[in-house]
Amino acid sequence: MTVWPDESVVPGHAGGFDTVDMTINIGPQHPATHGVFRMALTVDGEVVMDCEPYIGYLHRGLEKLSEANDYRQAMGFWDRTDYLAGMCCEGAYCMAVEKLAGIDVPERAEYIRVMMMELSRINSHFMFLGAFGADVGSFGTSFIYAWRERERIYDFFEEVSGDRMFPTYFRPGGVAFDLPENYESRIRWLISSIRQGIDDFDGLLTGNEIFVERCRNLAPMTVERAVNLGLSGPVLRATGLDWDVRKAEPYSIYDRFKFAIPVGVQGDVFDRYHVRISEMFQSTLIVEQCLDQITEGLVLNPNLPKNLRIEKGECYVRTEGTKGEYSVYALAKGGNKPYRMKLRSPSFCNLSALREMVIGSYVADAIIILGSLDIVLGEVDK
Amino acid sequence: MSEKTATGHSFKQVPNSALTEKLKRALTGIEVEYRETSTDVDLLVSPANFGRVVRELNERKELSFDYLRNIAGVDYVKEGLAAVYHFYSFKQGHAVQVTVPTPLGAPHVPSITSTFAAADWHEREAAEMVGLVFDGHPNPKNLLLEEDLRIHPLLKAHPLQKVEILQGIEENDPGFKF
Repeated sequence: MTVWPDESVVPGHAGGFDTVDMTINIGPQHPATHGVFRMALTVDGEVVMDCEPYIGYLHRGLEKLSEANDYRQAMGFWDRTDYLAGMCCEGAYCMAVEKLAGIDVPERAEYIRVMMMELSRINSHFMFLGAFGADVGSFGTSFIYAWRERERIYDFFEEVSGDRMFPTYFRPGGVAFDLPENYESRIRWLISSIRQGIDDFDGLLTGNEIFVERCRNLAPMTVERAVNLGLSGPVLRATGLDWDVRKAEPYSIYDRFKFAIPVGVQGDVFDRYHVRISEMFQSTLIVEQCLDQITEGLVLNPNLPKNLRIEKGECYVRTEGTKGEYSVYALAKGGNKPYRMKLRSPSFCNLSALREMVIGSYVADAIIILGSLDIVLGEVDK
Repeated sequence: MSEKTATGHSFKQVPNSALTEKLKRALTGIEVEYRETSTDVDLLVSPANFGRVVRELNERKELSFDYLRNIAGVDYVKEGLAAVYHFYSFKQGHAVQVTVPTPLGAPHVPSITSTFAAADWHEREAAEMVGLVFDGHPNPKNLLLEEDLRIHPLLKAHPLQKVEILQGIEENDPGFKF
């Protein structure tokens, strides 16, 4: 047997074969990495011995650009972090600016924001279900199922804001303009459609024994380890810790709604999937409560200055993004630009735990574990 | 799989004043300056005391900060660099910010990767972005930037430039030395 000169031989394997550790490079242009992410796997046969993640291929300098543009201009960049849920990112950014400047948001705008953020969350989770189904092996079907609902949500976003993926609809102090006149019937129809979509996925994936067998007991995680690794969002809740920023540290008007926090049992890949699909249903409940409670009124604070200048301020505004805790550390020291804006990206933190999760699993399972983290590279790389 | 609310902990929010009192009792004997930002209690700690403060925050039962949320590097130009940490406690439900200012020209902060595994990537990011040095970090390589690029883009002195100029592919003078 020939051996590459710089590779070591691992002797003493069963059957008398000598095996060689091999390095496999996956990405950055590989569909299974959900964007431009690269990992170098060291494999012994089919088993992953080591994993080195490489990120930064989509680094656009969000934080530097936010410092170089004024508060109004910089919002467009924040849309493009978690580009599957632009509204959630805008929400976090606007809340940080409002906290620094002490701007109030009208009641109606808060309800509109919550509805948009929850629809975004559902949209992002549908993307997860579609892509994850494809990772596990249902190939195109799950994608098409997901796209039906995503198109409908995007159509509504287009009607509301004029854009589908990057709406730039929020403003510090409210939202840009009011909802279209027929919004209530549109959203109620959308919710029934989403619930049908969730049900379809439940049948397609949860009802598929092959899918369940592949995901169960894969990369389980204890609560203590998950907390130490800094995981958040559905990945953390899958371990059994019922921690959701919307409940633990309520922002906006989330303290007015009744909803449950779905949790898993052992933090494996199946639990992560199941937490997400349950969370989507809870989001539809929140949107319905919004529709019941929303009142007429202004959607943008009328006392906003033309050019927002903030003398001094520092805050760490946390929100529950679609992937986990999406927070903004903002620092202002006068002028119409922030001194420092730092994004606490949930995908970034969840991805840093990837190495620990994949070691010891099969190569094919490593792809599923990566898929179960539901990373979005725009947010990882900033 | 179960859908239940609040099992392990209650979602009570601790007011900042109560937390400050608790911190003052726990951190007696360590030189700490207490401030408040719009959202959190902020502890101002010198790099020499930082390791001890983190140990107290993590190990004391009434504090038990077990979760590292974020590390941000800030460039204060004339006052030097600062590392800003955000901790959270799942057991107690309170959060704290710890600011570690470093003197000009000596941006050294002890690494906390041995206590918080989450600090690994956060510290690497802060190190490359503003040039902080985390002493004791097991793998101090560039994370988001190219491996051999020795620039710190989030320093205030660093100009906004085309990438090609920074990489030396185009000829225009970047205006500073690598």
